[in-house]
Amino acid sequence: MFKELDPILHSQLRLAVMSLLISVKEAEFTFIREKTNASAGNLSVQVQKLKDAGYIEVVKQFKDNYPQTTCKITPEGIQAFEEYVKALQQYLKV
Amino acid sequence: MNASEQLSAHSSLALIESMINKAQNRYSENGTLYLIWGWLILVCAAIHYGLLAFTNIGPNAGYIWMLTIVALIYQAYYLSVKEKKETVKTYTDEMIGHVWMVFGICMGLASFILLKLGTWQLLYACILLFYGIPTFLTGAIMRFNPLKMGGIICWALAVASVFVPSKEIILLLIPAVIAAWIIPGYILRAKYKQSING
Repeated sequence: MFKELDPILHSQLRLAVMSLLISVKEAEFTFIREKTNASAGNLSVQVQKLKDAGYIEVVKQFKDNYPQTTCKITPEGIQAFEEYVKALQQYLKV
Repeated sequence: MNASEQLSAHSSLALIESMINKAQNRYSENGTLYLIWGWLILVCAAIHYGLLAFTNIGPNAGYIWMLTIVALIYQAYYLSVKEKKETVKTYTDEMIGHVWMVFGICMGLASFILLKLGTWQLLYACILLFYGIPTFLTGAIMRFNPLKMGGIICWALAVASVFVPSKEIILLLIPAVIAAWIIPGYILRAKYKQSING
């Protein structure tokens, strides 16, 4: 029996964000935007969805008088990501 | 990138792989600190030896190493500016930072202990030994062979130092820093420029 793929992760941009964040300790919004080539508006919406799901932590602060948003994957996010990859492997029979 | 775009299992895996590669192939190390420290130690070692061999200054020649304090101040400034500019923090960078911090502490403590209890020849042998540790570990963490090779050369020079008489041991620092920091520093700089330009 195949496991259902997590709908939060099974979206191109959200999966890209999670794949980036799983590889680093934390990343600024600008870094994620640059690597995913997403628009700021679209990325903001998807980041908020990941935050609402408890998969990432978002810290908004000021650095040198400029707003800075930093994202970090949570333990729940790591677990969800690992389960998602396992489910994919099941589909592909890797 | 579109959030609502449907993904197949294959394209999901390909996307994960490509994003992980993008995060990991970021070349944040431009070699600046390797080059500053490498050239500084090279110049200090050459002047120190020159003063001992060709003048009557004697032990006061060692004051040339006070130049390292200038490098330490610059390093603190450089790292604070770099941290402000960085848009991402990786576990690799954090680990490398800890490795060099441990090296700095051990070098300071070993210098103090060996100058009190040992001989300065023993101090230089230990310095060569210590140079190899963070250099090799950084090479292993970054998967960058020139640094690993530099570390091994430092250890070989530490062994060789046992057979080098008296003040000539200072000159062993020169091939050590060329192999461990200067050559890898220039290679890192070239790779960094390449990664920026495309």
